[in-house]
Amino acid sequence: MSEERKSVSISGAGNIAGGSYSRVSISGAGKISGDLYAEELKMSGAGRVSGHCEVVRLSVSGTAKFEKAVVADEMKVSGVAKVDGPVKVKELKCSGTFRSSENISSEYVKVSGQLHVGGDVEAEIFRASGGFDIHGLLSADRIEIHPGGRCRVKEIGGARIDIRRYGSRDHPGLLDSLLRALSSAWGGEVEAELIEGDEIYLENTRADIVRGKQIEIGPHCKIGLIEYSESLKVHDDSNVGKQTKI
Amino acid sequence: MGDEHLISKKEVLEQMGISYGQLYRWKRKGLIPESWFIRRSTFTGQETFFPKDKIVERIGRIKDMKGEHALDDLAEVISEHVNAKLQIAFGKLRQLRWFDEDLARSCGIVEDEAGTLSLRDALCLAVLKKLRRSSREEEVELAGRTLNQAVAKTGVDLTALEGKTLHLLRKQLTGAGISAEISVIVIARDELIVDPEMRRIDSIDLAAMLQQVKLDLAKCCGPGVVDETSSENQDCGRENHE
Repeated sequence: MSEERKSVSISGAGNIAGGSYSRVSISGAGKISGDLYAEELKMSGAGRVSGHCEVVRLSVSGTAKFEKAVVADEMKVSGVAKVDGPVKVKELKCSGTFRSSENISSEYVKVSGQLHVGGDVEAEIFRASGGFDIHGLLSADRIEIHPGGRCRVKEIGGARIDIRRYGSRDHPGLLDSLLRALSSAWGGEVEAELIEGDEIYLENTRADIVRGKQIEIGPHCKIGLIEYSESLKVHDDSNVGKQTKI
Repeated sequence: MGDEHLISKKEVLEQMGISYGQLYRWKRKGLIPESWFIRRSTFTGQETFFPKDKIVERIGRIKDMKGEHALDDLAEVISEHVNAKLQIAFGKLRQLRWFDEDLARSCGIVEDEAGTLSLRDALCLAVLKKLRRSSREEEVELAGRTLNQAVAKTGVDLTALEGKTLHLLRKQLTGAGISAEISVIVIARDELIVDPEMRRIDSIDLAAMLQQVKLDLAKCCGPGVVDETSSENQDCGRENHE
């Protein structure tokens, strides 16, 4: 009597209608026409969803395109994913390339690949060791960036902001030193118009304005203006245009 | 708006004794509307300003609440205009991510002649929408009826829904070579203990959902609901004459 939710897998080339499914996996080339609701969506080939995509777990290891919003508890991108709508997830992990033309909102964001966002990124915790390009505001309670490539963002705002190269911790290991050497070779750097936070530590950062309570500027920074309310420390290898205590 | 007194972000932080972290957190939660952030260039560079009276009043309220209630309860306070009596314009709802017209139609929730929808229906829709990712059509419909019953009894407010969770359960029955599966919808407070053969498919925290709905409404109706009290009626809905 009742219609069971089906699982479907496309391993050649195929086209399925949207609707409710249990598990959907695309390992060939597949298109889902319409809105998709599922517990799990795996795209390891080339996939496309033409409607809204609302799933519990979503993983992309091939290429995927979502033409509308994506809502999920967990989203993992190790391939290439493109979303032409807002993204609302609990956890986003991107080790591949992720492009979103609108806003991303997620409790936890981890980027070790590339992230391109046309709007804002909102999170509780944002960690990046890859590169990114965010056209709007990056806002999170904790922001930790190890620039591994070009990191461009219009504005950064949050409670704690920490931008540092790999290996600049107290006891660099072998891997850290290697990554450090590589990241300086890549010229990993963060570029922002404005950075605002309560506790800010910056390395390898270019910014027009930095505002905060406790600010420490480490090596390789170029900052136009710093406004701080409690403390400020600036490394000799950095260049600060103007600084004022407010 | 142009003649309003503006206050810079720095001054807000200093006067109200709050941190950047708090301000950005409240913005993310939708407690401070996007439209209040006004960008201006000054001689020191880009700065953000706020309409002074509004931001001071809003932050005062947020700070007052903080001691006694969880931060999320603030959503309730801020969006108090969006209460059960206030009808929500359908047009606004269409902008929300959980709004689904087909689902609304299939649940018998329709636009009235004024083009509005009650908060109760909005909550119902949001819950069903969420449920859709894991359940069959007739289960969604069953959940809708159960929810309506529950809400009719207690009304839509946080205290009545606090701690209540809607569960979708399934159980396989086999006997005499025939097997059938039954679906059960339960709304219960606290932890649900069921027999071990029952499979729990999905659980939705109703109070959290209601908060989300209200926040979304406040966000999407933005200037309408939380901003200008004067334009509230035309923008976001109208009082229901009961």
